[in-house]
Amino acid sequence: MTTNRRQFIGTLGAASALIAAPSVLRAQPQGVFRIGALCPVTGAGAPYGSGMQKMITAAAEIVNAAGGAAGRKIEVVSEDTQTSPQAGVLAAKKLIDVNKVQAILGTWSSGVSLAVVPLTNDANIILMNTSGAPALSVPPANAKGLSYRFQATNDRFGRAFAEICAKEGFKRPATMAFNNASGIGNTEGFRKAWEAKGNKVVANVVYEPNQPSYRSELQKVLAANPDVIVTGSYLSDTTIIMREWFQSGQPVKWIIPGWAANPDLVKATGPEVVEGVISVDSISNETAPSFKAYAEVYEKATGQSGQSNIFSAMTWDMVHALALAIEAAGSTETAAINAKIREVSNPEGTKVYSYAEGKEALKKGKINFEGASSVLDFDQYGDVSPSFGVFFIEGGKLNRRYVVNI
Amino acid sequence: MFYAQLFVNGLFQGLVIGLAALSITLVFGIARFPNAATGDSMTLGAYAALAAHKASGSFIVAGLGAASATGIVLLLAYWSVFRKLAGRSVVALLVASIGIAFLLRAVLGVAFGHGQQVFQIPLARPYIFGGLRILPLDLQMALVALVTLIAVFGLLYLTAIGRQMRAVADNRDLARVSGIRPGRVMVALWLLAGAVAGIAGMMLGMKTIVTPEFGWEMLLPAFTAAILGGIGSPVGAVVAGLILGAMQEFSTPFVGFTYKIAIAFLIMLAVLLVRPRGLFGRVEGVR
Repeated sequence: MTTNRRQFIGTLGAASALIAAPSVLRAQPQGVFRIGALCPVTGAGAPYGSGMQKMITAAAEIVNAAGGAAGRKIEVVSEDTQTSPQAGVLAAKKLIDVNKVQAILGTWSSGVSLAVVPLTNDANIILMNTSGAPALSVPPANAKGLSYRFQATNDRFGRAFAEICAKEGFKRPATMAFNNASGIGNTEGFRKAWEAKGNKVVANVVYEPNQPSYRSELQKVLAANPDVIVTGSYLSDTTIIMREWFQSGQPVKWIIPGWAANPDLVKATGPEVVEGVISVDSISNETAPSFKAYAEVYEKATGQSGQSNIFSAMTWDMVHALALAIEAAGSTETAAINAKIREVSNPEGTKVYSYAEGKEALKKGKINFEGASSVLDFDQYGDVSPSFGVFFIEGGKLNRRYVVNI
Repeated sequence: MFYAQLFVNGLFQGLVIGLAALSITLVFGIARFPNAATGDSMTLGAYAALAAHKASGSFIVAGLGAASATGIVLLLAYWSVFRKLAGRSVVALLVASIGIAFLLRAVLGVAFGHGQQVFQIPLARPYIFGGLRILPLDLQMALVALVTLIAVFGLLYLTAIGRQMRAVADNRDLARVSGIRPGRVMVALWLLAGAVAGIAGMMLGMKTIVTPEFGWEMLLPAFTAAILGGIGSPVGAVVAGLILGAMQEFSTPFVGFTYKIAIAFLIMLAVLLVRPRGLFGRVEGVR
């Protein structure tokens, strides 16, 4: 085979482009602060992921429109975790090594966040997540204090479940948990809080993901004759479980976290099956101007109401808190930014609800950013304490009956 | 009664595994490589059935839709990829089938989105036979599986093309010398293997929910059943599927729900140690 000149030059061009490409990619241009938007666009988190990612981009645009943070533009690189730890780690590696991001925002599901946090710790950058596992609060996961959680911990969810159980007068609760840090975190948090009240849990079941049927699991739980089943579950497994439970014909009430018991669940099972199910979710800071601003952008971007995706309110807040901290630090060094995150979010300081407002107020003194997802006050572990909405599914609609604070 | 109920639950789960294993074992017996695209073919079947069911409201049409769509797509995969690689090593074909699997999954993801979809089936209370709860839906599924199995075995053992398929499985060269054209046999094989996988996917989708990833996750149990039953043995695949399903559920009171998946592999290990050719397999012989 002979090579003609055109082919040769073509090959040469391709080869030199290949060699040159990494340096093009690697260079962190001056005047830019690059963040990774690492969200669950596919997999179990798919109902939330693309909304979360869109809000990171939208919030970054707002920051840039207000002149950036510490004189830098925020640049967003998007990746998909596929709601799987393996894929999440690969994507995080790529964001850190190839894109040279200086913070990763938006990981969902504890399995993913727990897998990604060692990488961000090694790279010495900030990770902002929306996961619930208690293990994310403490070392080794949060050994450097660089991880921030914008969602209530599963432990807090469990405590809220116990409050609701007591309030609704249930006596014989049983639990079913998806076998991961989040699912078990929910039901264990519940068990601890419930037993601390001097009560007993009649049965505990931990089940595996991706099973064709959960009938044997249900059979075991229902054999203990519970009056309510508390779950730590996701949408897909909950759909299967609810359908199989309904077909079993044994009456029982359910308390299910809001990311599983949502309008998609009603659509999948039909309203009759989930009638009376109690759905518990952390609720957004709905009366705050920051929520209004977020909801407007969210509706424009997705065509859905801002309340339909609590996690995108969280990612919106992530960009705001991070950008305000960069602005306050006047630096893009991780340590300097990290020192300012609590300072710009927690009390003592002028309450602010938008980036432009916060940037202005920073010139005069301390600020306290009140987020769209919660008032956004981080404790010593980098965790927030949102309120919990208690929704009853009635006639296919989720109606909020009351709010629980813990 | 508690155990009997677990056993029955397991049998119905085993049917799906058995059908998927049947598709794998057919391909392995005749085309001689483990088809990793079987799982995603099931997904395709489930989506095809969903679409057909939405359009017609009939489960018979849904089943036919699943079987034909999956059969045709696997046939296309054979024409465009597997045929070109025939004669290469098993690894080349295996890797190619993994590629087909990824392609199918990606296309389904783009076409139907990653959110879950469900068959709109009216939910019904179970029949109770002497304390055993059996769902009407499960009985219908069992019927579908039975019809599929009768069709497959009828084709394999009662028709000319079936006899030719078995001849090629037994000894490719001898079959060719006897005047059997392998091309026709392969077309029949891929249509058949695809149709079986499509039906399995529809059954799984009706029992659970349909997402672009859900068939891929069934691949491991299906492979296990195919090996346990004796690679290349259609009867073995179905029986092994039922055994796996039943043993998994039956073991749960003793080992818990977390480790029931491991039980499948323990059984497989034990069988392979005692009887390496699987339950129904022959040494080097495939029927």
